[in-house]
Amino acid sequence: MALLVTLNGTQVRGRPGQTILELAQENGVDIPTLCHHADLSPLGACRVCVVEVEGSRTLVGSCHTPIADGMVIHTHSPKVLESRRVIVELLLASHSGVCYMCDKANMCELRKIAAELDVGLPRFQVRKHYYPLEDVSPYIARDLTKCIMCRRCVRACNEVAKHDVFAIAYRGFDSKIVVDFDQPIDKEVCRDCGVCIPFCPTGALSQPRETKTEKKGKPLVVTS
Amino acid sequence: MPEKRVVLKNCGVIDPQDIASYLAADGFKALEKALKLHLKQVIDEVKASELRGRGGAGFPCGLKWEFASKAQGNEKYVICNADEGEVGTFKDRYILENDPFSLIEGIAIAGYAIGAKKAYIYLRAEYHFLLDLLQNAIAQAKKKGFLGHLDIEVREGAGAYVCGEESALMDSIEGKRGEVRYRPPFPPTSGLWGKPTIINNVETLTNIPRIILNGAEWFGKMGTEKSKGTKVFSVSGDVAKPGVYELVLGSPLRELVEKLAKAEKVKTVQIGGATGRIIPYAMIDASLSFESVLGAGAITVFDESRDIIDIVGKTMEFLAEESCGKCTPCREGTEVMVETMERLGRGEGLKKDIKVLEELAETMMLCSMCGLGQAAPIPVVDSLEHFRGEYENRIRQS
Amino acid sequence: MNKTGRNGGRGELLVLLEAAQSKSAHISRDTITELAESLDLSIGEVYGVASFYSFLSTKPQGRNIIRICKSLPCLLKHAQTIIDSVRQEIGILPGETTPDGRFSFELTNCIGACDKAPAMMVNSDVHGDLTPKKIAKVLQAYK
Repeated sequence: MALLVTLNGTQVRGRPGQTILELAQENGVDIPTLCHHADLSPLGACRVCVVEVEGSRTLVGSCHTPIADGMVIHTHSPKVLESRRVIVELLLASHSGVCYMCDKANMCELRKIAAELDVGLPRFQVRKHYYPLEDVSPYIARDLTKCIMCRRCVRACNEVAKHDVFAIAYRGFDSKIVVDFDQPIDKEVCRDCGVCIPFCPTGALSQPRETKTEKKGKPLVVTS
Repeated sequence: MPEKRVVLKNCGVIDPQDIASYLAADGFKALEKALKLHLKQVIDEVKASELRGRGGAGFPCGLKWEFASKAQGNEKYVICNADEGEVGTFKDRYILENDPFSLIEGIAIAGYAIGAKKAYIYLRAEYHFLLDLLQNAIAQAKKKGFLGHLDIEVREGAGAYVCGEESALMDSIEGKRGEVRYRPPFPPTSGLWGKPTIINNVETLTNIPRIILNGAEWFGKMGTEKSKGTKVFSVSGDVAKPGVYELVLGSPLRELVEKLAKAEKVKTVQIGGATGRIIPYAMIDASLSFESVLGAGAITVFDESRDIIDIVGKTMEFLAEESCGKCTPCREGTEVMVETMERLGRGEGLKKDIKVLEELAETMMLCSMCGLGQAAPIPVVDSLEHFRGEYENRIRQS
Repeated sequence: MNKTGRNGGRGELLVLLEAAQSKSAHISRDTITELAESLDLSIGEVYGVASFYSFLSTKPQGRNIIRICKSLPCLLKHAQTIIDSVRQEIGILPGETTPDGRFSFELTNCIGACDKAPAMMVNSDVHGDLTPKKIAKVLQAYK
């Protein structure tokens, strides 16, 4: 049984159980996402993928809301775009990563979405999250100052790697992805796995930098 | 309209320790009546009464029951939300302290109506002192044979306001962090452990025996078009007589605040606790109803000596501390609001602050995952509407 | 035991943590490790639950826990003077424990005793209508 849905003014067909995000993707409509990942269970936490559904008091998360027959969806209305901007701005406001020093650089999904939504320096003044760099493990480096609590690493570890290394601790603004009793990551089970690293949208998880290898090429000399 | 004790009719009358005194006050007659009816008739009666949830959201109770009753599966749950955490609310405590039996009877009727064999009462940690009383009441009801169809277990919270939010409450009972879930699915379809579940507030369930015994028609004679019955209010703050008062819905706020609680020189009233409305004295004649203002029944009165920026700042501090932290707008937004209000409190507001607060509030209301985050900016929005001058005075002039 | 089971399983975690808290006034690392093993959960998962709730503590606490309400209805009724009196009486700041282990001192959000504001909890007892003068007498009962 096909469901008839109006997506940005166009009638499209969808399947029961399909999410708004899946329907949009199938029809070539690009909705930004952060906590969502096709290989992981939905979470709905970041709220970047919100869309407008006519008749709904609030915007709805497209990554977890199933379509319904007769639904009228706007994925890029002014209200939606403004909300997405504010959400990304909020994430940037407490994020203390410095883009020009970050290994993730142009690969960073947060940075990419911020650019697409035209979000510059956040207007919000809020304390930043500062945590010490965790570089004790030779296999994985963790810099939680760059973490945006999308929990993709937690789900990747639980659902894909089946290791249960990460968990969420504390509450509210202080919530944090922890290992055991909130210790720097250096566990037996973490060796050689690395499954979570590519799931991280920012530079919070990375492969430790190899500093001992010889770099070929000329030293950088600046001449005037 | 004077006080009317419907929900509270037994409070101060019966002995909460002794079921005999409850039975003497028509106790468990509603359950006996309900058990002789078909469960659909029970639900229809509750639907016809137009009873709406008393925990703040105001969802039609009978409809909730009907969804759960029609949902597939043999395993269903009733949860009584006794996690009364909204700032300034203590009416459920008062009901639990004085008449635990009416609540148990309400739960027993709910269990029969939706076909649940198990019910939980989720009691906030702060009310641990009521645990023995409640368990004693359950034991006595069981001994008298009123709970043959339903097992009632009390689960205690451990200090988290957000667990009063139904999805966080269920996660907490499941032994998890009290974080909210996205919806749909809604609890009547997929709730506790993924099974059909109804979650009702203490006061809502206490209304049930009255409705079943006296009929929906009797209940519908009280209140307004969209707000039937009575409401139990907790009044505190700058009043001479703080306490619990029950009024017919639609009664004017003035009656509660000035006449009953004896407030003087009122500047503003916060209705519904931290996530509630902040209204100025000019609106003191507002009707207390779902159509107008209501919430879970917390009425906090502030006199003319109080500072709005301070009130809103303290409120945001509470909400930031109690945010579960799952979704971005609530986790980050409440924190931004705390910092902004603090700055304003010091008289160091920036020119852009008001506009930024308004834009942030809009997004939090539209995008947060649960009622807490969606309602968190209300104190800011309301106070900006009614007391904008106090914000403007705190903006640094340079 | 299974991970998602209702009885004896995961569903009991909060109940078990609450029991540990009331037995030893905090939830020790050993307790967390044992619970994680018996419920087949990771240590982080159990720690995450324990650290979420404000009435659970992963650090050792005193024999008696004082929690003064710092929400608006109590603040309007001079809760600050109660906070100051307790501070003077037991000589520690909120967040601290007395050296003899008799008291831990915390500020807490609304405890639902606003009709008796200012109010505080000592362990699970609620004391309302407090005045600075009453503090010493109230605390005397807790050894």
